[in-house]
Amino acid sequence: MTVPPDLLRVFLYALATALATGLGALPFLAVRDISSRTMATSNAVAAGLMLGASIGLLSEGEAASAGATFVGALLGVAFVLLTQRVMGDREPEFGALRGAGARRVLLVLVVMTVHSFAEGVAVGVSFGGGEALATAITVAIAVHNVPEGLAISAVLRAQGESVLRCAAWSVFSSLPQPLMAVPAYLFVRQFSTLLPYGLGFAAGAMVFLVLEELLPEAYAHARAPRIAMVTGLSATAMLLFQRLL
Amino acid sequence: MTDARGGLARRGGKLHAPTRLMRTSLPVLLLLSSAAVGAAGLGAAVGARRGGLSAAALGWAGASAAGLMLGVAYALVAPGVAQAPWATAFGAALACTALWLPQSRTPDVAPDARAAVRASALHSAAEGVAVGAALALGARFGLVLALTLVVHNLSEGAVLGAALRDEGHGRGAAARAATLARGGQVLFALLTGALVAAQPAALPWALGVGFGALVYLLFAELLPDSYVAVGRTGIALVVSVGLGIVALLGGGARGGAP
Repeated sequence: MTVPPDLLRVFLYALATALATGLGALPFLAVRDISSRTMATSNAVAAGLMLGASIGLLSEGEAASAGATFVGALLGVAFVLLTQRVMGDREPEFGALRGAGARRVLLVLVVMTVHSFAEGVAVGVSFGGGEALATAITVAIAVHNVPEGLAISAVLRAQGESVLRCAAWSVFSSLPQPLMAVPAYLFVRQFSTLLPYGLGFAAGAMVFLVLEELLPEAYAHARAPRIAMVTGLSATAMLLFQRLL
Repeated sequence: MTDARGGLARRGGKLHAPTRLMRTSLPVLLLLSSAAVGAAGLGAAVGARRGGLSAAALGWAGASAAGLMLGVAYALVAPGVAQAPWATAFGAALACTALWLPQSRTPDVAPDARAAVRASALHSAAEGVAVGAALALGARFGLVLALTLVVHNLSEGAVLGAALRDEGHGRGAAARAATLARGGQVLFALLTGALVAAQPAALPWALGVGFGALVYLLFAELLPDSYVAVGRTGIALVVSVGLGIVALLGGGARGGAP
């Protein structure tokens, strides 16, 4: 059975965006020592990047439907709460990590992976607008994925994970993109209607994760003014980056 | 994103003639800003009453203030980034750094009432810039933000009132101190509005400064204390919902006619 060339192209474009996420781990080749201060700064960077990404998502969703985006955001918050409830009081394991650190990493990975579904839909839907639009959107999402990979890697690296594992998990978190791009391309009309909910969902989940996990962890290991500045500057950088794509 | 650039650009509010906006909306802005300042005094009186507010109540008040503040920050930065990304980003970075520098040099001690009043004055300046910049985007947007700040100031006033009560100040003194501290909101709203009216190119800078200042203050001051008092999950919920509501209201107001 041969795969139609247009479906293959959609899949490969979206796969490229997923692989780009792994590039976000590269800056951590220069970070050797994982002191508590480095850990706090990493969490603050991740928090700022996710906050900036969420602002972009909210703005994008608001353009299509503010109400749907808001509902999606509430569902995103509920999803994180549900995930935490499912985890319960068990001591999760993640590789060599145990306890609160493993729990945080798992939550971040779950949220960012779910977030990738919406981006995969965006890639697939964009092919409905022609090759030029699809290429532009694919490049935009691929580049956008790099700081998201950086955010994921920041959390993983703060827990002592290797750069290679940071890159691998970053790519893993974006695998829903090629998986969702193809059905979104095939059913573009239906998926277009759902997109604001998806964007709001991703934003709500990320904001909640930032507030519930990343920032408290950062505050535990560094002074609040430093955390505030790093978070603010990271969010600003992410906003600028997204706009310039 | 299906239309990453378009999405932000579409929601970037048009810069209607700021001078005309200021003339027609100024009395209402003054009224609402004054109401916001008065709300701080009311909140402080509540916070300073005998028995006061529990640490948890103050934590919730801080969290609700943070959520509204984050929503205001979002409502400002989205159109700013859409119109002039570099200017907005530089404004935000400037505000963050300017607020961090003096705090980076001070030791980590529990703030006394005087420090709390100074912090409140700093907050009000940032919020004033935000309101002034928001008005330049659209009268409805500016008014929505001013109303948001009425609610926000009640919470901040309560926190400030509790701090003043702990140092032996009465309700009247607390209300006066809070009202004076928040007076900067009106002043900076007017100054920002006048600056943008005279020099429209300053608008993205003002939006960025408003965003950067609000984000810095809530992460440096409001949230840390709230986490300690209440716990992370509750705070995260309140802040997230507050952000969502203001984003929803602010976005709708931004898109409407002035």
